[in-house]
Amino acid sequence: MTASPSAPQIAPKTLPPDRRPSGAAKPDILQNAAPADGAPPAILVDGVSKWYGDVVAVSDVSFGIGPGVTALLGPNGAGKSTLLKMIAGLLGTSSGRVTVHGEPVRGQPSTYRRIGLVPEQEELYPFLTGREFVRLNARLQGVKDLDGATEWALGLVEMRDAADRRLKGFSKGMRQRIKVAAALVHDPQVLLMDEPLNGTDPVQRANLIELIQRIGDSGRTVLVSSHVLEEVERFAGNIVVIVNGKLAAAGDYRTIRDRIDTRPHLVRIRAGDPRRLAAALIGEPSTVSVEVDADGRIVAQTGEARSFYDAVTRLAQRHDIRLYEIQPADDSLNSVFAYLVER
Amino acid sequence: MVTALSTVFFRPLPITTLTVRQFLDGRAVRVSGLIGLIPAAFALIYLLSPNGTRFETYTGQFLELFAPTVLPIAVLILATSAFGNELEDRTLPYLTLKPVSRLRIVLEKWLGVIVVGIPVVLFGQVATSVILAFSDGNATEQRYAADPRFADRIPELTTAIWPALAAGAVGVVMFGSIFLLLSLYIQRALLAGIFYAFVWESILGRYLSGIRLISVKQYVQSIFTRLVDNPDVRIDNPFQLGSALIVAAVTTVVCILLATRRLRRINLE
Repeated sequence: MTASPSAPQIAPKTLPPDRRPSGAAKPDILQNAAPADGAPPAILVDGVSKWYGDVVAVSDVSFGIGPGVTALLGPNGAGKSTLLKMIAGLLGTSSGRVTVHGEPVRGQPSTYRRIGLVPEQEELYPFLTGREFVRLNARLQGVKDLDGATEWALGLVEMRDAADRRLKGFSKGMRQRIKVAAALVHDPQVLLMDEPLNGTDPVQRANLIELIQRIGDSGRTVLVSSHVLEEVERFAGNIVVIVNGKLAAAGDYRTIRDRIDTRPHLVRIRAGDPRRLAAALIGEPSTVSVEVDADGRIVAQTGEARSFYDAVTRLAQRHDIRLYEIQPADDSLNSVFAYLVER
Repeated sequence: MVTALSTVFFRPLPITTLTVRQFLDGRAVRVSGLIGLIPAAFALIYLLSPNGTRFETYTGQFLELFAPTVLPIAVLILATSAFGNELEDRTLPYLTLKPVSRLRIVLEKWLGVIVVGIPVVLFGQVATSVILAFSDGNATEQRYAADPRFADRIPELTTAIWPALAAGAVGVVMFGSIFLLLSLYIQRALLAGIFYAFVWESILGRYLSGIRLISVKQYVQSIFTRLVDNPDVRIDNPFQLGSALIVAAVTTVVCILLATRRLRRINLE
């Protein structure tokens, strides 16, 4: 059922390490999105399309999302904001359906007890103080302990000290954080965040990322739209990639990277005798190319990452070569994303 | 002070409180209030050059200036900004993404328009009557006033004030409902409303008698003339008081229901 409106469950900085329901220890998209009891995924996007006249913004997108943090990625204009708005019920779908915990969102205001949204736009009510804004959201959500929930949410984003200032005087980063507090004040089970890290300084970013991780670790479903891929990598194990309005990929991003076998992975290796190890690697079927760079590091391309890593350790042992580091050179979200966009 | 009072009085109505504070913080209230004061400016001119009795002047400005032009424009500015500002700066999701029925959102917004609109728009009518009260009237009025035999020939100014306030309040409610609805359907509701007020209510209404049936001005003027109940204060084909009030109520209800329906279906980009 819905989260209790009077009893927030995410304690600032004191979350239990893992409060996911059993069977959902490593949430994944599509494969593990649906709970073991057969209930629908927390967020289900089923054959959703959205078009404006002749322009197709989103085309037949389907995926399900379970507990944990999932990132919604895509280049500008890919349709990810449109998709997020359809999930939130702000936009109607042209075809297909969106459900949250099995219930349609649009036209069902009661569903919003389970949902919190951090919208992208910065505009807030300039005449309200931060505390009044969070309290207003709590009141509209039907939270019983208004003061308690407001202070709890402000504490989550470390905004208690500035909460009595008018929103019109808030910096961009403060606005982001107060929006997060407002979205969390009723302790929603599903949190939708549109570019929540925009405008935050490095310290605020780190704190927000930590908060997002904690919310995800607490068993809630968090969908974060972002273009800051390096940061997404730090808090989201799962990604949904939208390109040209279509679903390009969905799932664990490293798994997706492994599945992309039409382009070799780039691997950098530091070893005691790099030339001898490079010579040995040439004969491996998983090796596409290998060279030693000016710094004495092996730079190898492989089409089968796992087999290649096995071969490196096996050959190093066989030739008694000390391995210092094996590092995927292009396994970041950036490379996954760039590859998917190019494809 | 006003903000604190509004917060206390409307505590159970958070959206109304928010709307009132939006109005108090924005320019719409000031602009509406200034427009509402236009008849008062004419009253000041009257002080310098009295032309007609004070009663005639007051009822004349209500029927010819306030009801057809000042009232719709002043309410238009307030009512279209109730939802319009949030649509424009995209803060409306902070209200719509809540477990609150769309009807309640519309009702609370509407209440905010009415609660602010009635005093702000009608203050000008009070000011107008106060300014006129400082005058002794024109020569005829002064002559009649000096002679006990004719003293009751000139109606008291006060007999027109409360009908003006009552009819004006009904006008605020009707126009407020219509323009609130308009702002949810039309992106440039202010322009559309100005066109409606000037072309429909002020110009076409004078020449096309059929328009009176769907003219808020006609209902406001009818209520005013019926309440004043003076043979010298009249309009063509006035509605009965009861009929006008029923139409006002029906218009308001229909607009609120249509606005609710619109809010359910609106796409918030």
